[in-house]
Amino acid sequence: MALRMTTQRRALQGLGNGVLVLMLLWTAIPFYWMIATSLKHDKEIYGYEATLIPQRPTLANYATVFRETPYLLYLRNSVVVAVGSTVLSMVIACLGAYAIARLNFPGRALLARGLVFTYLVPTSLLFIPMFAMMSVLRLTDSLHGLIIAYLGFDVPFCTWLLMGYFKSVPVELEEAARVDGCNRVSALVRVVLPMSLPALVVVTFFSFTHAWNEFLYAHVFTSTTGARTVTTGLVNFMSQDVFFWGPLMASTVMSALPPVLMFLLFQRWVVKGLTLGGVKG
Amino acid sequence: MATSTTVSLPLPSSRRGLGWRGDKVQRFLLHDRTLGYLFLFPALLVIVGLVAYPFASAIVMTFQAKTAGAPGRFIGLDNYRELFSSEQFLRTVVNTAVYTAVGVGIKFLLGLSMALVLNQERFCNNLFRSFLLIPWAIPTVMSALNWRWIFDDASGLINNILVRLNLIEESISWLSNPHLAMFSVIVVVIWQGTPFFTMSFLAGLQAIPKELYEAAEIDGASVLQQFTNITLPRLHPIFVTAVMLSAILTSAAIQFVLILTNGGPSDRTMIFSVLAYHLALGGAQRLGMGAAVSLVFFPILVVFIVFLTRRMLREKGE
Repeated sequence: MALRMTTQRRALQGLGNGVLVLMLLWTAIPFYWMIATSLKHDKEIYGYEATLIPQRPTLANYATVFRETPYLLYLRNSVVVAVGSTVLSMVIACLGAYAIARLNFPGRALLARGLVFTYLVPTSLLFIPMFAMMSVLRLTDSLHGLIIAYLGFDVPFCTWLLMGYFKSVPVELEEAARVDGCNRVSALVRVVLPMSLPALVVVTFFSFTHAWNEFLYAHVFTSTTGARTVTTGLVNFMSQDVFFWGPLMASTVMSALPPVLMFLLFQRWVVKGLTLGGVKG
Repeated sequence: MATSTTVSLPLPSSRRGLGWRGDKVQRFLLHDRTLGYLFLFPALLVIVGLVAYPFASAIVMTFQAKTAGAPGRFIGLDNYRELFSSEQFLRTVVNTAVYTAVGVGIKFLLGLSMALVLNQERFCNNLFRSFLLIPWAIPTVMSALNWRWIFDDASGLINNILVRLNLIEESISWLSNPHLAMFSVIVVVIWQGTPFFTMSFLAGLQAIPKELYEAAEIDGASVLQQFTNITLPRLHPIFVTAVMLSAILTSAAIQFVLILTNGGPSDRTMIFSVLAYHLALGGAQRLGMGAAVSLVFFPILVVFIVFLTRRMLREKGE
């Protein structure tokens, strides 16, 4: 019987390795094509001389992106919006989560429920009234408008995630700090926040990448070059006459890099946060 | 020293706030309430202003003929009447159902296989895991653009290879052939969305105690029996959460269709979010009609949302 087990195990391991190779190829090939295209001359991209592997790799497409398109402006806008909405939602979420986790007041449970509920309502149900509202408030075509709009997703999610972590910080530590003369606010800043560092990293990662990746609101609220972020900027390249896959793939590679690097860096925490929080997939 | 000992003593909860600490606690309770509302006020403002109010105004909008920036005119149920008698809308309902069910179904199966494979021990496994998760970290817009280029009629990767292998004479229009377009869009949805399932399931697998399998092995259970009697039941709660979450977000995701096919050819890939977008923001700017499309789908989503809310709160012990 032990022998049967070993054979079964070995067969499974072999099957697993085979599946893994297929999965790796399936994942890798689109990446490869994106990067390879960004490194090719037009002659190798289109027509009869098109190649699968760049014969004479070039960075010309990258140069074109910076020289002939407002890509740098889009990049700057994305950074401004991502940093702005992350900082704001962090502050709001820390306060809110602390209140729900630690303070006693009527309506607390209802608020926790409301937070999760609002987090789960997809933006594609809200973009039409949001567009009407933003038009009335004259917040379309503005980075401020986008920062505010993104709070609608970031704040419920961050608050909810932090709430769980804050609860796991032992109350006794905080009480000790209070005995030593800290008030609620300084107990939050000096005891609870430092102990929730992994959660803060996860929350920062999610709100930053959310703002960086967001497309619908950015696309709907923006009609001028000045306020475009990277996502809408690239889609806009596509709808212009200059329909060029080389530079487009070059800018795609560059725009995908920041969130991917952040993910690889914080992966361990992110996966944990994801399984705790069920993140938009 | 003495203080810290007292503090770390586990007081029975019924005795907390009694005795010498009584009036102090009383003062803190009052303090707590004010501070609680104060701390929550910004979050509440966000929820009301950016979710609740827009949602309520969407409901009002569906009874109006309205363009952006101008006040709406009340027209009763006309928007809904027009919607339900339009063939385009009925096709959208079917498309959305197919798109979501097939997309989520295949993502689930692929994600489960990936998780099982990654849960085996092997050389460099962590590296493989990180790599397989990257499609999830890439902005969806970038994935969609990349795939649009892969599917390109003239010089895309797929046609390029098929022609090289002499498998086809003429290139295939993956995104503009009415019979292929939905299939192609779903391929992209799967590529991007599988890692989410992989991550969730892998975490679930790693949380199953090894002793269970060891005990089963001693009892002579086969690998298949172990899978159906230990792995599947243990993963069940994660299955439900992941599928529901993914169903909400897959059905509502707009960028894949918008970038790859824009709902075409002849509405073959039109899903509700894209139809709402076209009605509300394309040309005629019929915000009321667009909002009505989204709202018709809301009751289905809300069942999932309420269910998930309960589940997620229970996991947090609220």
